[in-house]
Amino acid sequence: MKTTRSRLLAGGLGALIVTMLFACAVNGVGVDSTVGVGYVGGYYEPYGYDYGGWGGSYRVGPSRCCEHRDDRHDEHRDDHHDNGHADRGRGGHAPAYRPAPAGRSAPSIPGRSRER
Amino acid sequence: MIRVLRLRHALPSCLISVLFFGSGLSISRAADFELPALNAPPSAEHHMGKMVWADLVTPDLAAAEKFYGGLFGWTFHSIRAGSSDYAVVMLDGRPIAGLMEKVTRAAEHHQSAWLTFMAVGDVDGVKRVAVAHGAKVLADSRNYPMRGRQCVLSDPQGAVFAILASSSGDSPDYLPVSGEWIWSSMHAKDAGADAAFYQELFGYDVFELPSDDGLEHLILSTDNYARASVNSFAPGSSRRHPHWLNFVRVGNTTEMTAKVIALGGHVVVEPRVDRHGGMLAVVTDPAGAPFGLMEWSDSDTKAEPK
Repeated sequence: MKTTRSRLLAGGLGALIVTMLFACAVNGVGVDSTVGVGYVGGYYEPYGYDYGGWGGSYRVGPSRCCEHRDDRHDEHRDDHHDNGHADRGRGGHAPAYRPAPAGRSAPSIPGRSRER
Repeated sequence: MIRVLRLRHALPSCLISVLFFGSGLSISRAADFELPALNAPPSAEHHMGKMVWADLVTPDLAAAEKFYGGLFGWTFHSIRAGSSDYAVVMLDGRPIAGLMEKVTRAAEHHQSAWLTFMAVGDVDGVKRVAVAHGAKVLADSRNYPMRGRQCVLSDPQGAVFAILASSSGDSPDYLPVSGEWIWSSMHAKDAGADAAFYQELFGYDVFELPSDDGLEHLILSTDNYARASVNSFAPGSSRRHPHWLNFVRVGNTTEMTAKVIALGGHVVVEPRVDRHGGMLAVVTDPAGAPFGLMEWSDSDTKAEPK
């Protein structure tokens, strides 16, 4: 009788622990302790870094439609497409990305207005 | 003695009750957080790699609402996010972002920031590709009933971003109105490597643009629209951390920058003319979260690329 009760107690406790662990996993606690329970969203970034200090010619925005790309490497790009030679990016190194086909201009953002 | 025996009899039942209560609590916690659909009515469009949402994490939600409401005229709809407070940002009746309060300990230093969400069709598929190319999963994939499925990652250089498969589709490609997100720029140690990473995820076309600063500036596009830029770190500081920076469309950058200061924010990059001929600036909110302001006149986009 006593053994049966002990087993029941142990089983119950085990189930409780499993349930609590499951609840933590469902709520994302086990994956990301910086996010509040119930939502996978906001995330603090590391502290103490610079976001400014841009030089005067540091440009990050989109171009107007349709700005010509930097074609200094198009010759190499053509080599790549035509002859299978390695493509070259800035500084003469092969870029890690696949450049858009030569001759295509960089597009701009959408210009169509939303109907209100 | 009898009491002890009764207690022993009751203990298993109590444990079972606690077990069910715990399960119920867990389910209710997950269910009571209902993000609004991105699009109502739903859109049939899908735009891989388009920035479709942003979440601010901040230590003071009320202060953030006061700042952004005063700056852009945003309104807020509060919902409970489990242990955190969350406010959906509304503009012209549409949800465009979220503000999430996450209180930190006094001794802890965290950088309040906007988290950028990119549209995908298959969160888990894109997550697998990202991890295979060096990304880390910061918050695993999860479904939200009206919103869809989302996941938070850091790219191989450490920039944090999120992917979202919206269950209501992606918003059509319109020119954003004032107060709406208009642009995202990525700042990385190695712009080319990061562009390659995001190209694997979203299938971007990558364009290198001419620059006067000798640094690499790349445009990422899908559907023949520019979606974001990737830029090598600006020189002048060794304290750089890879990050995404999102820009809100404004009518007058200089005036809005002054308004930022009046509302308790700070200017990080003074207003200056950018590539499209309009002004942009980088500012922070009172908690230090950086974001950009960008002018874009209706005539800036000369012709539809489609």
